[in-house]
This record gives sequence, C-alpha cells and structure tokens, in this order.
Amino acid sequence: MAKAKATAAPVSVRRDFPHTHRFTIIAQDPSIRVNGRILTTEIEVPAEELAPGPCGYRVNVIDYDASTGVLYSPAVHKLRADGRVHDPFAEKSDGHLTGNPHFHAQNAYAIVMKTLARFEFALGRRIPWGSSGHQLHVAPHAFADSNAFYSKEDRGLFFGYFADQRGQPVFTCLSHDIVAHETTHALLDGLRGRYMEPSSPEQAAFHEGFADIVALLSVFSLRDVVAVLLTPQASDGGKSIAIKHLTAGALKSSVLFGLAEEMGQALSAVRGEALRRSVKLSPGRARSMVEEHDLGEVLVAAMLNAFLAIWLSRLAQLGTTRKGMKSLNLVIEEGARVSDHLLTMAIRALDYCPPTDINFADFLSAMLTVDHEVVPDDSKYGYRDTLLASFRAYGIRPPSSADKGGVWQHCEGELQYGRTHFDSMLRDKEEIFRFLWENRTALAITEKGYVEVQTVCPSHRIGPDGFILRETIAEYVEILTLRADELKKLGIVKPKDMPDWRRIRLFGGGALVFDEYGRLKYQIRNRIENAERQTKRLRYLWNNGFFDAPPDEKGHFAKLHRARAGA
Amino acid sequence: MAKSPKQVAIRTYQVGFGDCFLLSFLYDGNSEKHVLVDFGTTKLPPDAPKSRMMDIARDIEKRTKGALHAVVATHRHQDHVSGFATADGGKGTGDVIRKLKPAYVVQPWTEDPKLAPDAKAPPERKGEQKHIAALSAMHDVARQSLTVGRQARHLDKELRGQLAFLGEDNIGNPSAVKNLMTMGKKALYLCAGDDAQFDEDLGIKVHVLGPPTVKQSAAIAKQRSSDPNEFWQFRAAAARAATPPVDGKAVPLFPRFVLSRGPSYPIEARWLVYHARTIQGDQLLEIVRALDEAMNNTSVILVFEMGGKRLLFPGDAQIENWQYALGKKENQELLANVNLYKVGHHGSRNATPKSLWKLFKNRSTDKSNKKRLAALMSTLEHKHGSEKNNSEVPRRTLVTELERESNLFSTQALSGSSSFFHETVVPLT
Repeated sequence: MAKAKATAAPVSVRRDFPHTHRFTIIAQDPSIRVNGRILTTEIEVPAEELAPGPCGYRVNVIDYDASTGVLYSPAVHKLRADGRVHDPFAEKSDGHLTGNPHFHAQNAYAIVMKTLARFEFALGRRIPWGSSGHQLHVAPHAFADSNAFYSKEDRGLFFGYFADQRGQPVFTCLSHDIVAHETTHALLDGLRGRYMEPSSPEQAAFHEGFADIVALLSVFSLRDVVAVLLTPQASDGGKSIAIKHLTAGALKSSVLFGLAEEMGQALSAVRGEALRRSVKLSPGRARSMVEEHDLGEVLVAAMLNAFLAIWLSRLAQLGTTRKGMKSLNLVIEEGARVSDHLLTMAIRALDYCPPTDINFADFLSAMLTVDHEVVPDDSKYGYRDTLLASFRAYGIRPPSSADKGGVWQHCEGELQYGRTHFDSMLRDKEEIFRFLWENRTALAITEKGYVEVQTVCPSHRIGPDGFILRETIAEYVEILTLRADELKKLGIVKPKDMPDWRRIRLFGGGALVFDEYGRLKYQIRNRIENAERQTKRLRYLWNNGFFDAPPDEKGHFAKLHRARAGA
Repeated sequence: MAKSPKQVAIRTYQVGFGDCFLLSFLYDGNSEKHVLVDFGTTKLPPDAPKSRMMDIARDIEKRTKGALHAVVATHRHQDHVSGFATADGGKGTGDVIRKLKPAYVVQPWTEDPKLAPDAKAPPERKGEQKHIAALSAMHDVARQSLTVGRQARHLDKELRGQLAFLGEDNIGNPSAVKNLMTMGKKALYLCAGDDAQFDEDLGIKVHVLGPPTVKQSAAIAKQRSSDPNEFWQFRAAAARAATPPVDGKAVPLFPRFVLSRGPSYPIEARWLVYHARTIQGDQLLEIVRALDEAMNNTSVILVFEMGGKRLLFPGDAQIENWQYALGKKENQELLANVNLYKVGHHGSRNATPKSLWKLFKNRSTDKSNKKRLAALMSTLEHKHGSEKNNSEVPRRTLVTELERESNLFSTQALSGSSSFFHETVVPLT
C-alpha cells in the first residue's frame, strides 16, 4: 500500500480522465412541458476543466446585457473527486432554471459544445469557428430583441431576450433549436468561409437551411423530446404505439407539426414560423419560392421528408409487440438513429461541396457521394433513393455533371504526381498549390486570376470493412477581378444598365478529395470561367441591389433572421 | 359643388426638418379658403429664432384671417404634427391653430380613435386595430432609442445622432394628437379610395391615394405567409422587456446576479462588452428605422385637382404605401399630369419611387417651359440618414434629378430670421 501511495496520482494517464461531462439542459425550450414541468435532459459534452463563465477551450460565455448595461456573474463549475464536473442544476425546480442566469450560461455552453462535438465526430477532426480565435464568445442575454445571431466580426453568438404577450421574458438562449442553429452558422462558416459571399439566392439560403437541418435533426436525436411528442398516441402506459399512428401522415402531424407548434408558442418571432412553414411546405409551392429566406425552407422540407420516409421504412422492418402494436421505445430509437445518420451525412457532405457558390443540387450530390463511400450497398434501407426522391419532389435534382445515381464523378484524368511529395500533400497548402499548378490544364485552374489553397485537412472515418479510412480534403478558391466591360471576353453577359467601369469580382474554386494513397479521387468544382453561372450570379446580384450599397458582413445574420421572422 | 377657385397660393414655411404648407384658394370676389397641410419640426434651422414655430402660427392666423377650412395631418411623426401641441394657458402653437376652428381635420385611418388599442373596435375591424396597436407600441422603442442616442457615450457619434433623431421623431406627442382629434368640427380618417369630403366646399376635387388599409395592402403583398403586424408586435414587445423606466435606470433581468454595472467592467469581459454594445446600437437603429418607415407609410396621399391643375401632397409616404397607389391604373393617369409635387419625406430616396417620378409628364429639362413641373421640398441637411450608405436626406442624387427636370424650391434657400416662408402662386383656368 505504501508503495502504491508513493506512486499515486499518475493523473496524466489518459484513461484516468473522464472523456465527457454531463450537463442538464432544457430539452427543446421551456414551452415543452411534461406534467406541467419543463422537459429537461442531460447531454454529454467533451470533458474539460472549466474556468468561470463557463469558459472552456472552445467557448467563452460572458453574460453581458447591452440593453441594461449589466454584467452578470459567471457560472462556476467545480470538479468532483472522480474528475467529473458537478452539475449544479441537476434535479432543480423550473423556477430555479429559468430564473438563474448561471443555468442559462450552462445551457448555452453545453449545446454549443455538443454541436461542435457533433461536427467533429462526423468529420473526424477539429473544426475551427468561422471567426478568428479558438474560443467563441457566447452572450446569453446580449440585448432585448427577438433575435439571435452569429457575428463573424464580433467573434460570437449573441442571444436576445424579449417579453411575450403576457409580459413574461422569453430567452432565446434556452431554446435548443436556436442555440444549435446559431452554432451551426459559426461552424459552417469555419468549414466553408466563402458561403457568406454574395452569390445566388441558393447560397444565401444554404446557410439558413443547413443550420435549420442540423438544429432539427439534433432535436430528433434527443429521445426525450420525441417521446413527449408521441405520448398522446401511446398505449399500454407509454410502452407501445399502434401501427395506425406510424404512417407518413400521422408522424408528420404528431412529430413534425407537434414540434413546430410547441416551438411556435413563444418563439415564433425568432424561429417557430420558419419551421412551421418548412413542415407545411408542399412540393408544388416550393418551386415558386425565390426569396433567400424562403428558399432555405425548401431545403429543410426536402430533408425532413426524407427523414420521415427513412424512419418509416425502418419501422416497417420492426416487429410487433402484439397485434397492431409496436414498442414505443424502439420506434423512438429508430427515429433517433435515422436523424443521427442523416445528420452525419449532411455534415460530412460539406467536405464534398464546392467551396464557392454552393447550390442545393451540389449539396444533394455531396450527401449521396458521402453515403456511397461509407455504405456502397444501399439496398437495405434505401437512404440514397429516398433522399433523391424527396429532393426531386421539391425540385432539387443532382447537377448534370454528377454520375449515375447523383454521386460525384471520380477523377479519371492523367495527373502529374511526380513533382510533389505524398507526406507534404497531407498537410501543406504550398504543396497542394504546387500540385494544382502542375496539373492546371487537366484540373482547369485559371492562370489569369488569383488562386489560393485555403485549407488542407484530414478526414477520418470507419470504412464499410471496419478499417479506418483516411482522406485528405483540400479546398482552393479562384478570384478574378475585372471591369464590367471586360466580362464579354469571358463570354459573361453584363447585367443590363450596369456601367462599364464597375469593378466585378468573380469566384470559382473546388474541393479536392485525395484517397489514402494520396491520389485525387474527386475534384468538386465551380469553374471560374463558367460563363452561364457567372452571368446568372451577376444578374441576380445586380437586380437585388447588391452593387448599390457596400457589403455589410457584420449584420448579415441579424438581417437575414429578421427578414425570416417578418416574412 | 361650390364655385371653383381661380388661383391657389402655397406657402412653404421654413420649419427646418419638418413640413408646413398653407394652401390658400382664391375665389371671385377675392374671398379665400385655407387648408393647412402639416405643422411640425424636429429641428429648426440653425439661424432661426426660438420663436419660429409661434411666428409661423401667427402668420397662419393672419393669412387665414382667423379661419381654416381644413387641417391635414398626414401622419403622426413629430416633424409633421409637433406644431399642433397645446400648452398651459393656451400659449402653445396648437392653441393658435385651434382658434382657427377648422371645419375638417383630415388624418390617416390609423389615427381613428375608434380603432385605438384600448377601444372596443367592431369585429370586422380587429385586424386594423391590431395594426394600430403595433404602431403605437413603437413609441416605447422610440423612447429607448432616444435614451441610448443621448446617453450611450460608448457608441459612435453618428450612430448616436441617428438614434436620437429617429427616436425623437417617433416619440408620441399626446398633446398634438388630442388637439387634432378635437379641434375640427368634423374629423376625417381616410384611407386610399375614400371620398375626401372636405373638397366640396372648396369647389375642387381631392383624390385620396393612400394610405392603404391592412386589407388593401394585403392584396398587393406577395406571398406573405404570416401577418407582418405580428412582426411589429414582437419588435415592440422585445423593446419593452428592457425599456428603461422614466428615471432612466434600466432594471436588470437578474438583480441578484449582477457583477458589474460599469462603467469599468472586469478586464476579461471588456472585449465582449465593447462588441455587444456596438451590436446593440446597430440593432436598435435598424429596428427604429423600420418602425420609422412603417409610420411614414401611414401618410395620407392627396391629389388636389382644380382648374386644370393637380397638386400632389404625399406626406412622407414611402415605397410600400406608394405600391398600392401606383398599382391602380386610374391613379397612374391622375399622377401623370401632376403640376406641383410636394417632395415626399424631405427628399429621402425611398419616398420618391422611380416609377412615380417617371410617371410625371410635366418633367422637363427646359427651364423656360411654362408647364414645367414645380416641386416643393421642406428639408434640412445632415439630420437624417448618412452619406456613407447613401441614405442621406435629402438624397443627393434625387435633388440633382429634381433640379434638372423641375422648378425645385427647397426650404434650405430660406435663411435668416425675417423670411420664413416662400409663396408659390398657381393660376387656375
């Protein structure tokens, strides 16, 4: 014993540390209640030793309210003897949760960290925020306004609060959906920084739509929430559910509409209306939508319908407990699995999207390709066919450059690898650029403009055979700056009435996916010299007054969210 | 109908940033009738004496020989109604106007007391009442904006100026509102397409082109899937959650958890404090600007038609209000032949839509053209908007266009203490 004591506390050994901390959060928002009590749940986030705030290695919560000029004291989280964090809000009363800013700080911190961890899990690497710095600021009560947003310049997530019609305060930082949505903006911006550039209505809508998809699928993977939504249909004291409640129409109205209704009660000014519209959106109407804040809803609708269809097909393969009945727990479990799978697919797809001028068709092909790489045989649940069908119903088809089944075409051409080195190609931007330059003809890289390799990063995942699969993902952008009268040299039609002297920036670029041998597998690109695409983009920006006012990156999401709320 | 006038004279008063126009109709036998369109200011010109508003009230009293036929208050912004406020002992400018006993007081339908937020509105008009409730809730936001604009030293000077200015313009003026409600023999609350009523005794025709009602504007709103009024309600509600009470001290959400009220915050929080404050200022400006525009869009748009001449007085109507008016073919024909245009919203870019300007047939680059369009603009530079983002009022490009194609008179040409109005005489056939 004495000997053991002498060598005690080898704390640096990894296995001695817990890998996750558990925190109590509000499951969806305070309006979802069970037996009159707010539905809470515990979630796991990456373990770390927190400074007051909470302030951790990626998130720094500072509770300053600019409308009243007040800074609230930071929440303090102590470690217990077993190395786990002490959750001061486990099993606390509703009043204690809603009335204590330290809980609000914990709630926001935990959901931001969980969303980050979800991205890192899907991509197998660390994901940077879109704003500079490692720690993203989070202000849970930033101002009195029915808005919440990510601001790149201000390096933070800002959550507003407002009074509902009875004069009761509503806190956007307590809504799982809103916190996950804003965090996704920051992460998507970190992965694809050019998606905030003005381009097409679809690119503008993609940020919103994607953030909605991540937020909603995250909610559906919280089993407690789905359980509450299905409880009114349950029998046998909540153990079973009749098959008649498990049709597309029934699940749509119980789970999707149910959630939209719950969310709509107080937060419709911020988010609820958008969700309700996505859920109700019929394929026919989707095609007539052109506004950027409407278009995001089309993407969400296509994804939610795919989620429902896949869930149903998995339920069909589930046995019955007794005649006409299925186990409620298993039904919920299957739903959580589907949403989890789709979420991973959607996040991984980002690596397979072009770095500039994204459109929904590209995103669809990226998802299909990702899934094809992981599960070459899709016959069991038919995820890919279902996705294709659901997106097609909303007018979204894979681009013409995609292969059969909508997946991206493999890179087949003869490429020069002799002047670059395998090891450097795994991490060195200069080396990737050299590779591009040596192969500029084969890869159709512009010689005239500015070309920059923006990122080189690994992507790890478990392959279908159980082995670890390593890919290298690099993205490059091409920028061409010219006068409006020079557009015709590239075959681009200048928008009507645009003066000749107007300075124009054109964007192009691609994502390069290298296999484990360092061979180029996919080049997913938007060529800068694609005259048709550039003509369309310029016409859209010109007609929408982009050239009238200087771009305002700062207020980007604040304005977009407000436009959605008011639409 | 009464006899037609043979001439109309328009006095444009120099009120700085605001509007005040007196229309005097002259009849055979030299009898006259007068209509006052707006009387308000938020900022007098720098060289004007403090008594400017009273001087104007007295001038109106003198010019009308103590009798007004009608008062038009296009919308309730301070820069259009502040002159109607009364004071203790009857010493306010509004008291002077009240003594002129207007037969009619014309206001937009949004001022109808039957639809006031606390009134019992008939069920079919509940939608309209909701709209009005949202508008009146804006005063809270305006107050907040003014407070921030005046007190928040940490914000950019220009931003503060804008916040204070817009806040002030949007703050309610209960005295003026009450006076307008009660001073006339008959109060008219008009919407697009209504019979103007007060025109009959003048022997002229007055067309009401705006503002549209909720129903009328819903008809033109494209694919609106939810009620835009709800949006305003929430904006206002949000502001109420943190509106500082009258003594200026904001109430924190969680008093027991306050660590610091500033001005010196802990070092580790300063970066965020600075950024959150700037964001809040920007947010507030955006909200209050949207509210300001919504209120502008309640403006009554009138076309006075008599003796082959047409005068257009659109208040501060902006594009959304105009959209309804311009969507009607008969209005387009009416507007095409306008001879005199009161420039909307002190020359801002959104109040003279291109589609309206292009309609005017009497625009001409020929200065000797006798039929050339006349334009009257009451404005004051550097008070509203910003040149940085092309929102300055008056908008430079619009002024250039007005100067090029019309006989433009701007109140900025009136300086000093003696001459505080300009008269435009329009002979009629």
